[in-house]
Amino acid sequence: MNTYSWLVRREFWENRAIWIVPVVIGAALTLAALFGRVDFGNLSLAAQNRAIGGTVLFAFGMTFFVVMSIYSGWYLLDCLHADRKDRSVLFWKSLPISDTATVLAKLFTGMIAIPLVYFIAADVSTLLIAFIISMRSRSAIGNALWQPDLWLQLQALWLYLIVTSAIWYLPVAGWLLAVSAWAKRAVMLWSILPLLALYLLERWFFGTHVFGAAFADRILGYAPRAFHNMSGNAGWVTAVMDKDAVSTPGSVWILLDPLGFLSSPATWVGVVVGIAFVVVAIQLRLRRTEL
Amino acid sequence: MPALIEAQNLTKKYGSHVALDHANFTVEAGRIVGLIGPNGAGKTSALRAILGLTSYEGRLEVLEREPFSERAALMNEACFIADVAVLPAWLRVDQAIDFVAGVHPRFRRERARALLTKSQISGMRRVRELSKGMKTQVHLALTMAIDAKLLVLDEPTLGLDILARRSFYDALVNDYMDETRTILITTHQVEEVENLLTDVIFIDKGRIVLSSSIEDIAARYVAVAVADNDVAAGRAEKPFYERRTLGKTVLYFETPDVAKLSPLGELLTPSVSDLFVAKLSQGAA
Repeated sequence: MNTYSWLVRREFWENRAIWIVPVVIGAALTLAALFGRVDFGNLSLAAQNRAIGGTVLFAFGMTFFVVMSIYSGWYLLDCLHADRKDRSVLFWKSLPISDTATVLAKLFTGMIAIPLVYFIAADVSTLLIAFIISMRSRSAIGNALWQPDLWLQLQALWLYLIVTSAIWYLPVAGWLLAVSAWAKRAVMLWSILPLLALYLLERWFFGTHVFGAAFADRILGYAPRAFHNMSGNAGWVTAVMDKDAVSTPGSVWILLDPLGFLSSPATWVGVVVGIAFVVVAIQLRLRRTEL
Repeated sequence: MPALIEAQNLTKKYGSHVALDHANFTVEAGRIVGLIGPNGAGKTSALRAILGLTSYEGRLEVLEREPFSERAALMNEACFIADVAVLPAWLRVDQAIDFVAGVHPRFRRERARALLTKSQISGMRRVRELSKGMKTQVHLALTMAIDAKLLVLDEPTLGLDILARRSFYDALVNDYMDETRTILITTHQVEEVENLLTDVIFIDKGRIVLSSSIEDIAARYVAVAVADNDVAAGRAEKPFYERRTLGKTVLYFETPDVAKLSPLGELLTPSVSDLFVAKLSQGAA
């Protein structure tokens, strides 16, 4: 296990952007809180304060989550290609580290370690921002943002998001790793164009949409599996501010659907496909010492 | 005691190009072996196979392991320097030391530190900030600090100036004296390593042309520089190669009748580089 901790540390040494980008986002949002519009008007009900507070914090969290997803995707696509390009793979292969360990450490970094960094940055930023807004705002919004219960729910949401999205998007991560290990150059094109080709060829020759549907489901189907369908508005809390109505789920606990996620067959098909791609990536890494 | 490296019918093909063609060779423990060959001879393919970096056909055993399937385990006891420029540019020297110390059971941190202090390279510097010579020194310091049984060097001094090359080989020899590890080295600059080698393997077009210890070469091969009027007599002894230089003709013989050759001129043992050229030309003839 010691080898793995060094391998992950090496990823952080190589990609300083892993922590620089979240810090920059946090700083930008903090500045926005310091100098931006924070007047939320007067909200009478505690529940409405919660709705606004939850929405604000959720919006900040989503910023981190979106950037994290883009960065993780880029990282996985680059991690097995960059060291072949500059030949430093020959240095890493001169050490007693198996190719399996190398690939798994990079998978872990992309799917767990990087999200955790963003999670911590989001936490720290939201604490700072909540503090700043509660100081600045004339309304009771500050009280809304400072609730320990709300904060705890956000932690739970983040951790649930990290674990379940890592499981759901494993086939995507595996595909990116395999392309990274295989492509000589134009890595991004190789990650996209074959999929497009597969989709088009299937349509033209068979008239079917199987691949396209499966792919779309993989990208978009995470939320419906991991979270309850909240469209019934049963658990929602709405606040009206100026003339906008803001709705958030009253509590995170009714939103999360771990049993549904784990019992969905698509989840496990994805895991099997993901493992297959990771095995391919390891085999490619074993055989290639240059571009 | 089994040989450190044993290759039988080692073959490597890249598509239709045959890089190694049923090569047979052994490397015994404690020797310094020079793998010498022209460009495209198969040296790098042979080293890659030995280090578990590529698949191959035939039988190959390194430190009693099959290298391709057991590369990580093999790297506990073997190490290599592929090229001067393979250290990652973003890596700091002290990060490199920490990393290798963390993953390699036979790495001695103090030794690496000592070697780097001697070269006056600060731990805080990144590889990209170092000159080519300093990069080699860092890589060499890391490698020397590993208590490995086998050290493989593939053109380690490529692109280095004469001072850096000299200090590289000095450090190599000094370390060899301390540790008695086995060294396998390939280089174009044969003259530079000639005096270090205990054994040579000549390779050309994927085949082994000669595999011998330096002592055996001295016993088997003779070179005589003859004046023009003695050339006919010399040729009667069937040299396998001849070369004209500085007004004389140099004739190369394999296990000749020494008595017949002595009157023609001084009998010398050919240098490794001369023998290499001679043997390769013999094959081409």
